[in-house]
Amino acid sequence: MKRLVALIPMAWLGLFFLVPFLVLLKISVSEPAIAQPPYMPLLDWADGILTIALNLGNYIFLTEDPLYLLSYLSSVKIAAISTILTLLLGYPMAYVIARAPEHRRGLLLMLVILPFWTSFLLRVYAWIGLLKANGIVNNALLAVGVIDQPLVMLQTDFAVYLGIVYTYLPFMILPLYATLSKLDADLLDASADLGARPGTTFLTVTLPLSLPGVVAGSMLVFIPAVGEYIIPALLGGPGTLMIGSVLWNEFFLNRDWPVAAAVAIVMVLVLALPIGLLRRVQAREGERP
Amino acid sequence: MSNPFIRIDGVTRTFGEVYAVDDVSLDIQQGELFCLLGGSGSGKSTLLRMLAGFERPTTGRIIIDGRDMTDVPPHARDVNMMFQSYALFPHMSVERNIAYGLHRMGMPRAQIATRVTEMLSLVQMEKLARRKPDQLSGGQRQRVALARALARRPKLLLLDEPLGALDRKLREETQLELKKIQSSLGITFIVVTHDQEEAMTLGDRLGVMNEGRIVQVGAPHEVYEFPQSRFVADFIGTVNLFDGTIAEDRDTDAVIASPEAGIDIRIPHAVAGTAGQPVAVALRPEKIVISRTLPDPYDNVLTGQVTDIVYSGNLSVFHVTLASGKRVRVSRTNRLRAESEGIGAGDAVQLGFTGHSAVVLAS
Repeated sequence: MKRLVALIPMAWLGLFFLVPFLVLLKISVSEPAIAQPPYMPLLDWADGILTIALNLGNYIFLTEDPLYLLSYLSSVKIAAISTILTLLLGYPMAYVIARAPEHRRGLLLMLVILPFWTSFLLRVYAWIGLLKANGIVNNALLAVGVIDQPLVMLQTDFAVYLGIVYTYLPFMILPLYATLSKLDADLLDASADLGARPGTTFLTVTLPLSLPGVVAGSMLVFIPAVGEYIIPALLGGPGTLMIGSVLWNEFFLNRDWPVAAAVAIVMVLVLALPIGLLRRVQAREGERP
Repeated sequence: MSNPFIRIDGVTRTFGEVYAVDDVSLDIQQGELFCLLGGSGSGKSTLLRMLAGFERPTTGRIIIDGRDMTDVPPHARDVNMMFQSYALFPHMSVERNIAYGLHRMGMPRAQIATRVTEMLSLVQMEKLARRKPDQLSGGQRQRVALARALARRPKLLLLDEPLGALDRKLREETQLELKKIQSSLGITFIVVTHDQEEAMTLGDRLGVMNEGRIVQVGAPHEVYEFPQSRFVADFIGTVNLFDGTIAEDRDTDAVIASPEAGIDIRIPHAVAGTAGQPVAVALRPEKIVISRTLPDPYDNVLTGQVTDIVYSGNLSVFHVTLASGKRVRVSRTNRLRAESEGIGAGDAVQLGFTGHSAVVLAS
C-alpha cells in the first residue's frame, strides 16, 4: 500500500516530466524540415537498412551564434538579481508575519496570497498602465513636482526586475514564513541571555536556522524566473535578452523546432546542475556531526 | 543582616488586565539555592523572566548585587538562565553551544577552549563534545544546558523547571548533582518548579507563589511543618483540614471546636485569634496514629470507619470517614510486611494525634 502511494508522484513525474523531456530530447537531435511536424524522424527504415540520424548540429549551432550564450547568461543574471531582491524584500515580511500575534498571522498570509486571485497575465499587464510614460506613477510624480519629465520605466530592465520581484514575492515569503514560524522563541531568548545583542542573535541563530527556507524560496523564484517569458515580453524592452523569448522565437517565428528543443534542453541542464550540486552539499552538511 | 544579594522590591507585572506578578518583594542571599514553587499561572515563570530581563516589571525594582537591573536588557545582565526546553542551538555542536556565551563576552579563543573543556568535565560530557543536540538524550541535553548557562560564571543562575523533562530516577540523581555543583561553585541559584517534592529536596529556602503573590517564604521544613495558610498547607504535601471555631484561647493552650472532626481539638499553645473566630486545623497524614484501639493516650482522638486503603509499597494510606462524613487521610510506614493489626476496609478505628503536630490556620 505504501509503495502504491509512493508510486503516484513517481508516475506523475514520469508521465508529465520524463516523457515530454524525452520527446524534447528526441526533437533536439532531429533534422529540421519543412513538414508537419517540422522535423525529420530519428529512425528510418528503408530497404532493410535502419538509419539512425542523430543530428548534433542543433547543439553545435547554439555555440556558434553568441545570441544563445548571451541569452543564457542574461537570463541567469536577471533571475539571480531578482532572487536576491525578492529575498531582501521577502525575508523581513516573512519575519514580521511569523512574529505577529497568532490571530493576525492568518490575515497577513492571506494578504500575501491575495494577488493569486487575479490572473497572472492581468497583473503583469496592469504594470504597463502603472509604468508607461503617461501612466499613474509618472502622472503622480509630475503632479507632485518631483520630476518635470516622465521617467522612462516601461520596456527597461528595471520594469522586468520589478515584474519578477512583484510576481514571485509570495513564493519567497511562504517557505520563509514556514521556517521562521517554527523557530523556537526560547532560542532567541537564550541567545540574548548569553550576551548576544539582537543583531548578533539574528546572524548567529535566526539566519542559520532559516537557511532551509531561504534555499527553498530562492529556488522557487530563481528557477521559473530563468525561463520567464511573459514578464520580459510585456515589460521588457528590445534590449532585454532572456532565454524564454529566444525559445518562443525559435518555436513560433522560425519554426525551427530542433534548435528550439536544444535551447530548452540546455536550459534544463543549466538549472539542474547547480541545484543538484546544492542538494549534495546540503546532504553532506546534514551528515556531518 | 548584610545587604541582600538580590532584592525584588514591590514588583508587579501585568499583561492587559491580568496581574501575572502582583506586588512581590523578596530578598535572596548570595550563594543561596532558592526555589520558587507554584502551580501553573502562579507567576513564578514571569518573575524568573523578569530576573533574566526578558520581561520588564510594570512597577517595582529588581536589584542584583547592589545594581538596579530593572531596565537592563538581558544581554547586558550578569545573569544566565537554563530554559525548561533547554533551548540548545540545534545547528551547533555541544562545544559550540557552551562556547556561545563566551564568544559574546569577547573572550580570547584559547581561554574559551579551556573554559569549554572545564564545563564539559563539570557535567561529564567530554566524550560527546562534537555531537549536535538532536543526537543527545534528554538527560545529556539537560547537562549541556546547565554547562552553557554556567560557562559565563554568572552571579546568578536561573533555572526554569530544570528537571521537568527527566524521568523520576534520573531526576533524583540530578537533584543531588545540581546541589553539589551549586555549592561547589557558590553561585546563587533560583529554581522555578511546580514539583513541591523537588523544591523541598533542592532548596535552601522556598517561596510559595499563588495568583501572582508570594504567600510564604521559608526553609523547606518550616513551610511544610508550619504552613501559614490553607493554600500552602494544601499545596505542599497532603493535609487534612478541619474547619472549626476558636472555643477557648488561653496563654498556654487553646481549644478549637470542630463539628467536622466531631471533637474539641486541644492545642497545647496559644493561638492567634479571638474566641468565636472561624479557623482551620491542618494535620498531615503521617502525624496521625491509626489503630482499632489506641494503646497510648492522645490529646485528641477521632473515631471513624476505614473506607479505603491505598497501598504504595513503602506507605499505606488509610481513608477514614468520620461520623460527620469528613474523610481523613492517615499514612503509615509499612514497617512489617503484613498489616500488623489487619485493619481492613469497613473496620471501626481510632485516630490519635497530639495538638503539637497540628497547625491552626486563620486564613
